Formats: sequence, C-alpha cells, structure tokens
Amino acid sequence: MSFTLAVHSSKGGTGKTSIAINLAGVYASEGYNVCLLDFDFKAPSFTNFFKIKPRYWINDVLHDRCSIKDAVNDISNDFDTSGRLYVGLTDPDIESIREISSKDRDWQAKALRFLIRAKKELIDSGIDVVILDTSPGIDYESINAVAASDYVAVVVKQNYTCIKSTEQVIDGIYNILHKNCAIIENMCHDGYLYPKNSKNQNTPVVESIPCMCDITAKTDNDLIVFSEPDHVFSKAMYKISQNITKMG
Amino acid sequence: MITMSENDTFDQILDKLNEINEKLDRLLQDTNNSNINDKDKESIISNSMDVMTLISLPEHLRTTATTLLKLEQATANEIAEITEKERAVESNYLNQLVKLGYAYKFRKGKQIYFKFDDNVN
Repeated sequence: MSFTLAVHSSKGGTGKTSIAINLAGVYASEGYNVCLLDFDFKAPSFTNFFKIKPRYWINDVLHDRCSIKDAVNDISNDFDTSGRLYVGLTDPDIESIREISSKDRDWQAKALRFLIRAKKELIDSGIDVVILDTSPGIDYESINAVAASDYVAVVVKQNYTCIKSTEQVIDGIYNILHKNCAIIENMCHDGYLYPKNSKNQNTPVVESIPCMCDITAKTDNDLIVFSEPDHVFSKAMYKISQNITKMG
Repeated sequence: MITMSENDTFDQILDKLNEINEKLDRLLQDTNNSNINDKDKESIISNSMDVMTLISLPEHLRTTATTLLKLEQATANEIAEITEKERAVESNYLNQLVKLGYAYKFRKGKQIYFKFDDNVN
C-alpha cells in the first residue's frame, strides 16, 4: 500500500499543519515509511517544529535545483518510530516567499510535473505514505498538491464561512480532479457536526475533533501523538489514520 | 525454402515500408510546424498544462490530460489502458490536446508518443 495525502482547507487557521505533522507521526509509529512535505510556500512553518538545517528546501525541488531525495531529512531517530519518518521543509526566508509568489503559470505547470515526479521517486524508493501540508484556499501551490495526491483530507472549522467555502473546494476542485476526499472537523463544540444538509453529503466526515484550549500550545513545536499519546487529539489522529487508510 | 525472387520481393517490401516510415516522419514534422507563424508559436509555447487549465478542460480531455501528466509521455494505447477507453478515442483526445497547443507528439521507433511541453527534461 502506498498513497499520497494532501491536507488542505478552504480557509486559514483550521489546524492543518498540526494535523498533517501528527498524522505523519501516527503512520510512522504504525510501521509505515512516511515522508511529510511542507507545501505552504507563503507561510512555511515546519522550521518551528523540526530543528534541522536542510541542505536543500522543497523550493529547490520545484526549481529543479535538486532531486526530492536531496531535500528530505530522516528524523526517525528523533521520535524512535518503527517506520522511517522523513520531512521536507520549505524555505521561510522572505526572499524565497516573494520568489514563489511571483511565478507565472508556465512555472507552475512545471512545478506540478516536478511534484508528480518527486512523488513517484519517493514511492519507488520505499515510502508508503506521502503527506503534503498545503497552504489554505485556492492557489497554485495548494491545488498542485491536491492534483498530485491520491486523497485529500479537508480540515473544516465549524463556522458558516468555512463550511460554505469547503463546499466550493469539494465541488469545484476535488470532485473535478476525481480525488477521494474526507472531511476532518476541527475545533468542534458539542453536537456541532458538519451540517447534514450540506451539499457534500457524499463526502465522509472521518473525525470531529473537539475544541481544546491546550492544543494550540502543545502542537506548536511538538508531536503530541508521541508526547501525549492518550490525549483526545492524539486519539483522534489515530482514528483519522485508520479511516483514511480504509478509503483505499 | 525461400527462392532468390522471393528474397528480392521481401527486400522491395522492406524498402517500401522504410519509405512509408520516412514519409510519416516528415508528415508528423510538417503537422507540428504547419502554418504556425511566430506569433502563434509564442501563444502555443505559453499554453502550459498548469493545474488551473487542467481544471477548466472538459471532462473527457481532463481525464486524458491527467493521465498524460502522470505518465509524463505516453502512446494513445498506454493512456487507453489506464482510462479504460478505446485506443482510437484516446488518440482523438490526445490529438485535440495537440491542436489546442497543450501537448505535442513525436515518433519513437514505430510508436507515436504524446507529451506536454518539452521544457521539463
């Protein structure tokens, strides 16, 4: 079994990065070889979590300056996972963010093809699960990541604006690209589930994670699935990983 | 046992086949370059298959384009094996992508291959 999962959302601040990073930890602890890639070029955040100085960034892969194998770092020993855990970081330097922001559609077309090729290289070299942590909304980088993935986990915060824009990305992007999609409800309040009268009734809700005040601080620079495996959030991550694996 | 005259006939057939191959190559070359002035060439070169363009394609062409993106280069037969459509149908869709300027085709041995722009090695 091998697959690529894009963790996406229609709006910012839904908890995508915390979910992507901890999901990667779960899969690696279950014995899968995992590669987690930061695909948020406008607001990179992996350098806060992973204290490594990479030789190459994911930006370099899309610029064809190196192969994906040069840009991923083995962090399995830091977490003592039974499967290998690799991470690819995006350059947080403002110059790099400006550089990506100014790219035209020809460059983005090439970036999509480099990404598809990188994914193949990772799978061919023994990676079971590739997780792409995307930028929110509809821009080239996030939709390139969705297009290159097998599954999309869309993280929804429980407010009307977020739900409406999620309906749009499901209908207007994921369904058009024939992606297997699952909804993760995050920061939920009691009994406040994804509306049953939503347009996306065929899209499964794989987990509803309750709103917890401690999560923001605890997932800021740590993998809570390892530091607190019995935490409600950690248990939710295990449930999501099982449900996403079943989607295949 | 093959006689001398049969051998000659085979040689002649082989020569004719090679001639046909060369003509097909020239035709392909001409099709790729025909009636394209510099302005058109510029617009075709900029017809990159980016993800927003992919999303805006009609369903049938999008499936073919998505499959070609994954395979990087492919024959109509290879695309048809994945999309589970007839080879002739995929050949038609691939040629539509060529006409729209998104893809180009080239000969490799006896096979016609399709590919998106050549700037990605």
